[in-house]
Amino acid sequence: MMGTMRCVVVLCILLMPAWSQPNVRAILDKYCTGCHNASGRAGGLALDSASEIGGLHWERVLRRLRARSMPPAGTPRPAEAAYQSAVASIEAKLDADFAAKPNPGRTGTFRRLNRTEYHNAIRDLLALDVDINALLPSDDASYGFDNVTVGDLSPALLERYLNAARRISRIAIGIPGKAPGGETVLVPPDLTQEQHFDGMPLGTRGGLAVPYTFPVDGEYEFSVRLARDRNEHVEGLRGKHEVLLLLDGEPLQTFPVAAPPIGKDHQHVDAHLKLKVHVKAGPHTVAATFPRKAFPVIETERQPYEAHFNFYRHPRIQPAVYSVTVNGPFTVTGAGASPSRKRVLVCTPTGAADEETCAKKIVAALARHAYRRPVTAKDLAAPLRFFREGRAGGGFETGVEMALRSVLVSPDFLFRVEQDQGPGVYRVSALELASRLSFFLWSSIPDDELLRSAETGALHQPAMLQKQVRRMLADSRAKSLVTNFAGQWLYLRNLQQTLPDMRLFTDFDDNLRQAFRTETELFFESILREDRSVLDLLRSNYTYVNERLAKHYGIPNVYGSRFRRVDLPADSNRGGLLRQGSILTVTSYATRTSPVIRGKWILDNLLGVPPPAAPPNVPALKERVIGNNLTMRERLAEHRKNPACSGCHNLMDPVGFAMENYDAVGRYRTAEESGQAIDNSGGLPDGSKFRGVEGLENALLKYSDLFAGTFAEKMMTYGIGRGMEHFDGPAVRKVVASAKAQNYKFSSFIMGIVGSTPFQMRRGQ
Amino acid sequence: MIITRKTLDRRTLLRGAGSAIALPLLDAMTPALNAAKAAKPIKRLGYVYVPMGSTIAEWTPACPHGKLTELSPTLQSLEAMRDQVTVVTNMELRNSYPGTHATSNAGFLSAATAKWTESTDYYLGTTADQVAAKTLGKDTRLPSLELAMDMMSMVGQCDNGYACVYQNNLSWSSPTSPLPAEAHPRVAFERLFGEGGSAADRRREAKQDASLLDAVRERIAELQSKLGPSDRTRVSMYLDSVREVERRIQKAEAEAANTALPDLDRPVGVPAAYADHAKLMFDLQLLALQGDVTRVISFQLARETSNRTYPEVGVTEAHHPLTHHGNNPVKMLRVAKINAFHVSLFAYLLKRLKETPDGGGSLLDSTLYLYGSGMGNPDKHDHTNLPVLVAGGRGGRHVRFDKPVPMANLHLTMLERAGVNIDKFADSNGRIVDLGEPLAL
Repeated sequence: MMGTMRCVVVLCILLMPAWSQPNVRAILDKYCTGCHNASGRAGGLALDSASEIGGLHWERVLRRLRARSMPPAGTPRPAEAAYQSAVASIEAKLDADFAAKPNPGRTGTFRRLNRTEYHNAIRDLLALDVDINALLPSDDASYGFDNVTVGDLSPALLERYLNAARRISRIAIGIPGKAPGGETVLVPPDLTQEQHFDGMPLGTRGGLAVPYTFPVDGEYEFSVRLARDRNEHVEGLRGKHEVLLLLDGEPLQTFPVAAPPIGKDHQHVDAHLKLKVHVKAGPHTVAATFPRKAFPVIETERQPYEAHFNFYRHPRIQPAVYSVTVNGPFTVTGAGASPSRKRVLVCTPTGAADEETCAKKIVAALARHAYRRPVTAKDLAAPLRFFREGRAGGGFETGVEMALRSVLVSPDFLFRVEQDQGPGVYRVSALELASRLSFFLWSSIPDDELLRSAETGALHQPAMLQKQVRRMLADSRAKSLVTNFAGQWLYLRNLQQTLPDMRLFTDFDDNLRQAFRTETELFFESILREDRSVLDLLRSNYTYVNERLAKHYGIPNVYGSRFRRVDLPADSNRGGLLRQGSILTVTSYATRTSPVIRGKWILDNLLGVPPPAAPPNVPALKERVIGNNLTMRERLAEHRKNPACSGCHNLMDPVGFAMENYDAVGRYRTAEESGQAIDNSGGLPDGSKFRGVEGLENALLKYSDLFAGTFAEKMMTYGIGRGMEHFDGPAVRKVVASAKAQNYKFSSFIMGIVGSTPFQMRRGQ
Repeated sequence: MIITRKTLDRRTLLRGAGSAIALPLLDAMTPALNAAKAAKPIKRLGYVYVPMGSTIAEWTPACPHGKLTELSPTLQSLEAMRDQVTVVTNMELRNSYPGTHATSNAGFLSAATAKWTESTDYYLGTTADQVAAKTLGKDTRLPSLELAMDMMSMVGQCDNGYACVYQNNLSWSSPTSPLPAEAHPRVAFERLFGEGGSAADRRREAKQDASLLDAVRERIAELQSKLGPSDRTRVSMYLDSVREVERRIQKAEAEAANTALPDLDRPVGVPAAYADHAKLMFDLQLLALQGDVTRVISFQLARETSNRTYPEVGVTEAHHPLTHHGNNPVKMLRVAKINAFHVSLFAYLLKRLKETPDGGGSLLDSTLYLYGSGMGNPDKHDHTNLPVLVAGGRGGRHVRFDKPVPMANLHLTMLERAGVNIDKFADSNGRIVDLGEPLAL
């Protein structure tokens, strides 16, 4: 009886609008409507207006209540229990509404493969790794990811697709261009080359390794140029040196390099660093490096690290590679047996009679994978027409090349098309689901097994879906969740363009930039591969370093260029994301830290309570000259005196202050540049106070559900390819709830998302 | 494009590249490019965007309305071209308010309001360069060329609530079609001049591309027939793109019949130094105009909210935070230094245009370039009193308005000067009558 009564009460509450439930109404009336009323309309909200409140996006209100960021700290606020009960009531109401009438949202009908997806699709379709940056333009981002606004097809882009298809098909089939082609790869100018690089033979230092796909068996020329200073002198060239040229790690030749007599120019110093060799078709690595000289040029053990690339401040001690060029083929000895040819040419005609049959077999296999669905005779008509055209002008393989080109420019390859199945809400087809999965987990096309499970419809069964997801997560292609998803979510992509001021951060070089990215990627990947709790992103007793990074962090006894996992002592300054050089640097300016950017980054990307946009027409600050002797904290306090700024900066700045022990390139410090001691006291928008990064991490972990919710939201935005709308709130909560029950394991988010309504369904127009 | 076989020194062609950057890959010959000797004189338009406004006190010439008797500190590097420069003071982008970085970039050539959205329903307006391209681009292989400097999209740098398309793309061929800009010098080069090969090779390539496009068009049309109305609109835009590329291919095919491709140095990579990269992109613009591959160009010299530092002129602070100078005079002067540096790179282009003969005069005589920003005072994010100037044709004027005048008036006037006659552009309410003489041709 009691049970029934309770059910009736619960049912009644669920049927009532969220705002009229007594516990919610009480909070609104007592704490909110003072500012959010019809006359004041703070933040555009009138919580006292019956007409407006019905159409309110309660997810917005919920977000602020959950983060306890409203009412603002320092004003009268509800007791913790009242907060919890109001949040629970609103959530229950919204979730019940959603369950009764699910809204999966609507992804674009036509979604172009973005640059990364195109690259990976070519890799998986043709066993070919192409330099995609030279083929396609980058994509514009929205909601933080570059797979959202992908409905466009400008003439320039279409031209690029035509050109890309031509080049890719040629390399894949092994048809050289009319003239020897070439590729020159430049070394980042701020790369220090005094020590050993990972992947190079032991006993060498510096250099550059260039992965290159050789289109045919034939003779190619490799040439090397050395880095020069502004006077066109080869840097670090004193006495005699040697340059070692390698192919796939095997030495090809050692060249002597010597400084010309004083006063002679250096024009021809490296002119002889050229070699013609025969190379088999397919991917190889060409490298140029320097045998290490017998004497230790730099003593690394006791001295701090020094960058060497900057002519005036830290000149190179020894010569460095500037570029490696591959030219050719000059003489072609055969098409060879590259992985791409093996992948594409699945049959060989025995004579003219069965050429067409064989071509059909080749095209059918290609088209099925490229179009990500079973192909019909009609699908094959166009490629086969191009095969015949090509066959007439050249040979069988020229025909296949033309057919491949036509597949690569087909809208069925370039676009993911999800056509409406009627006007209402519907479940996406098993084939559409397969593509959704592969583009989410691999940023690429489905493989054979996934396609087969979709073709039979088995993918619609939860057990099969789980099985496929587990298999895909274990696959090396899931690395795209690290490079592509985390690369954008955490802003790691921006590292490439980060240039800390050379005078202030004299030891910053490309070696460190790369090490930063590698650390965070390996760290994120460990969470993925070991299926750890995503909360470990914030609290970790291990990380990944090589000698370069360990020196930067002050971690002892790490030698060599290879990255390895290190366990950190309890009092270490390193560990979770907020202590990693990558994050600390991309949230800083070139000359200094920015507590504002760091605070905003955390609110946006970890807590999911982005501060409002800067107000339009930011009023000019009164003319004031801030002395350089003020600390960062004092300078920002000055800024927050302006009421137009304080509203948001009171939220952002304290979060960032807690990270002030890390400078603009992530070094630990206890004093600012001015010599003033660091004050690392900070706070969250809920009014909590703490000190230092550990205090911040603990405060964030207190809101583990918010962090998990933000993580889920970011991942869903990326996985589904559209921004999360207010109506997605219940779906996100469901993902988080099931993840919570599984201790926030990485895979529990993936499983939750692929099983969610927005992922499984779509709204027709 | 008609190529004469007159040989020029290679270094004069890609001078900005620097010897270490422009490795000669095609070493055989370097024939000169010469613009087609068209029956009618050719008129050209270019647009260069710089982000985050300026320190306007250092930008605006002191001289009153009338003859441009002296240049401001920021514009000093234009001295050699002063009689072909017109500074237009007090331009405004009404539709870019409320002030943001996204709407500065989006409004500069459109003068339109950017719909506040992060989704695929972004909406702006057709930009002035694209209006021009519809007329001036009819006879060239590329109706227009869009260039930029940033190779990668940065994450988290776009204005709150605005899709990055607004901040990244200057040129829009329709309110819903942003045109991606190319920042990779070699890719831009190949767009202009192709990948080489004999005339017969190129003709065959063009034929192949044309028939591939036929198949693409058929398939798109097939898909279109199964769609709802809004998707159908989008797909008809794809078909427009197909038609446009077909036109370019026909043009290329026709050209292949009677010309050899220039054996120019191909830029090998992206120069590490910003100035080298920028000059190389300006070199490419010169080549494109000189070879008459296109008559309309837009170029984003840097992106809004860029955190680039400019140590080459002694500014080691990031550009964006520096522009929130709070009227601190030291910081304002540093912003002015960046402004002057950007102008000096533009001056490099103007100088090369001026040195390049075209018809009876120079290429600069027959080209109008608009240079400026869609933001006025970056500390306030406003869009009034924009730093704007026009170079080329006849100039030497300071057009100084007392009250803000729509930027669209300037666009309308420039379009007219180039022979593109329309009644109104965006929020235009008149013309700039004092913009020097019509293009001297």
